[in-house]
Amino acid sequence: MIHTLEAPSQPKPSSPVLSLLNPRETTKWFALTVPIGLLCGAFGIAFMKFPLWAAVLALLVAVMPALVIKWRADGMKYGKRIMLISILLTAQGLHSVEHVAQWAEYHVFNFTLRQSNGLLSPANAEWVHFVWNWVVLFAIIAIIASGMRNIWAWILLFVAVTHTIEHSYSFIRYLQILSELGSMGVTNISAQGLPGILGRDGWLARSPLTQGTIWCGIPGLTTAERLDLHFWWNVIEMTFTVLASHVYLSAKFKVQSSK
Amino acid sequence: MPAANANAAASAPVAGMKVHPLSTRSVCDEAFAAHTLDFEVATPDGDINGFESNGSGVGAGDLNGDGLPDLVFANTAGPAAIFWNEGDFQFRKEELGYKNLRAVALVDVDADGQLDIVFTQRYGPPLYFHNDAGSFTRINLTNVYQPAYSMYWADLDGDGRLDLVAASYNAELSKDRTSDFFFKYLGGVIVYYNKGENVFEPQKLIWDTQALALLVTDLNNDGRPDIWVGNDFDLADQIWLNMPEGWQAAMPFPHISHSTMGLVMGDVNNDGRADVFASDMKPYDIGIKTWTEWLPLMETMRKIVPRNDPQLDENMLLTQDPSGKWQEVGRAMRVDASGWSWAAQFGDLDQDGFLDLYVVNGMIDKTFFRHLPKFELVEQNQAFHNDAGRDFMTEPKWNLAASASGRSQVMSDLNGDGRLDIVVSNLRAPAMIYENRLCSGESLEVALRMPGTQNTFALGATVQLKTSKGTYTREMRATGAHLAGNEPVAHFGFPSGAVLQSLLIRWPDGNTTETSDLTPHTFIEVTR
Repeated sequence: MIHTLEAPSQPKPSSPVLSLLNPRETTKWFALTVPIGLLCGAFGIAFMKFPLWAAVLALLVAVMPALVIKWRADGMKYGKRIMLISILLTAQGLHSVEHVAQWAEYHVFNFTLRQSNGLLSPANAEWVHFVWNWVVLFAIIAIIASGMRNIWAWILLFVAVTHTIEHSYSFIRYLQILSELGSMGVTNISAQGLPGILGRDGWLARSPLTQGTIWCGIPGLTTAERLDLHFWWNVIEMTFTVLASHVYLSAKFKVQSSK
Repeated sequence: MPAANANAAASAPVAGMKVHPLSTRSVCDEAFAAHTLDFEVATPDGDINGFESNGSGVGAGDLNGDGLPDLVFANTAGPAAIFWNEGDFQFRKEELGYKNLRAVALVDVDADGQLDIVFTQRYGPPLYFHNDAGSFTRINLTNVYQPAYSMYWADLDGDGRLDLVAASYNAELSKDRTSDFFFKYLGGVIVYYNKGENVFEPQKLIWDTQALALLVTDLNNDGRPDIWVGNDFDLADQIWLNMPEGWQAAMPFPHISHSTMGLVMGDVNNDGRADVFASDMKPYDIGIKTWTEWLPLMETMRKIVPRNDPQLDENMLLTQDPSGKWQEVGRAMRVDASGWSWAAQFGDLDQDGFLDLYVVNGMIDKTFFRHLPKFELVEQNQAFHNDAGRDFMTEPKWNLAASASGRSQVMSDLNGDGRLDIVVSNLRAPAMIYENRLCSGESLEVALRMPGTQNTFALGATVQLKTSKGTYTREMRATGAHLAGNEPVAHFGFPSGAVLQSLLIRWPDGNTTETSDLTPHTFIEVTR
């Protein structure tokens, strides 16, 4: 396994995270695939009646080869462990864009909550976030198992676990409601974006078990809209992802610099 | 033009004070007992079309002066009816030959000391029935000609006469009168100033309205009654403050309900300031079945929320802080969701000194609920127990969770035992009386009379009872909630053992009367 971060002669970078995310020699691939993806998406919307999520998906598919090349280059340069961190940071960053889009739709463009689905989630918000959070959780577990163990990483793991539980609860309810609707002959209802455990109208806010307890009085936990709740949840998760990666990569740089 | 009636408080002499002992409680239980009435709000062909699903109202009041409140039910396809109270929850039904009625108010319009009946109609102006010792004659109210869905009776200009605020539900008018060229000239929010001898002078405040509810009360603590129109759909509620220079549109609330179905006023925390509950549509639990039933409707809800829109899709409980500033505490006090809510009423059901809340709900609609059997969203009425003004808790033990499709309701002590009973008008199901058999607490009931004036039942007066356990405030009103006609009687509950210290009456003209000669478990009639 390769454990070098930078060439021994290079100084330690001020931000190892940004250094890792730098496309470096793969920049040309991004310069090529991003415009292609944007053009494909725009063409799809203009001439093939693509919904927004399909256009965004087209962009992601187009960029995917460049990302794979970048991550492969990271793997060859730094090793698989750090390649995993690179993948996690990139993916979480893209996921943050989704939450920012939702937040803007609701708070800036005044869409209703049910309409503020972001870019990719309109395909199916429950599937997108359920699958995404489990993938992220497994990735974090794998990275921690392979050695990225610091206080931020453990906090990140906790945040990711709770986030995954929240989305799993929502996903199970989503499937149950779909099943119920199907039994009534209703097949054109999305049933997505419903309250989960936390937030306004969530289990904690509405369950008879929690009524009158201290849990109901914690600001935000039982009052925030699902959109805001997950926006901030994602901000927190992203923050700890960056912190954990920064500490880990810095240590690696330090080791490398001292050699 | 509105004028101030907030005269400097002066002591008003009373002509008399009759004290009637309330009857002893024959039954004592932990729950209400249900009684079925031979009345049902019907629809023309048994089906639900258009806005027939809104149902009709119910009113309570002593129409024949026998000391027992009678009941009046409006109806849409079937005839309206009076249920004469013969005591012990026995009623004699008398049908009125009128249909297509909405709201009910029992008000002494002609100031002869007897409660008359006023209905609003689906397509016409309010109908007035003069009460002549229990016999009713329809009389025209001059210049009251615009169709109205909701109404409220109050002395708005301080001249001592009861004025009428009437407001239309334009969605219904436009749906059923699409070919009417003159539709745009019909309806609206109209203040009819009472000029005496059944002659009114109209002043239209606005045409565009979807008034499912009306409330007239002092919203800015200046002593003058203001107007609050509770609108359905995206149209925000409309509030007009009664200012010396005229009616002034305002929005003193941080939030209001999106589809306001009912408005009711009461002092939920006993701070002496009016609080208002606005009912709206929101599932009352998070069960899979409930959400499944609601989701097809939710898909049709509005797509874009205008910037700074104060409307939220849930019930509102608006209270005032000490400075008179309104704040929304519905979610914090857990009354934000009660299903597809229609009429809500405050009343101290368990006589602990705090106003409880009862909300009737349910919906029948072929468009929204075609996935449900008989197109009906079956919900359980919600009874909320007021926990010392801090919080509300649903109270299943009271046995009030009926699942008929309730539209209107009134609270009244029907058997004179000091406990508030509940009467519910249901759509396509029999009307129900819920007999209050709760054992706790004691009560005092107060009625006000102003014979020789044009406001014989002192509507708009406030009554404040001071006890060793707290001070409780009520307002005399004849209308409220959704399509309901309230009995002009103030019911005070208080914990057993509380010492009654004083009763302060603030009459509609601002004058006050105070008495300390009070005995629990009595009905007091104060005549000025």
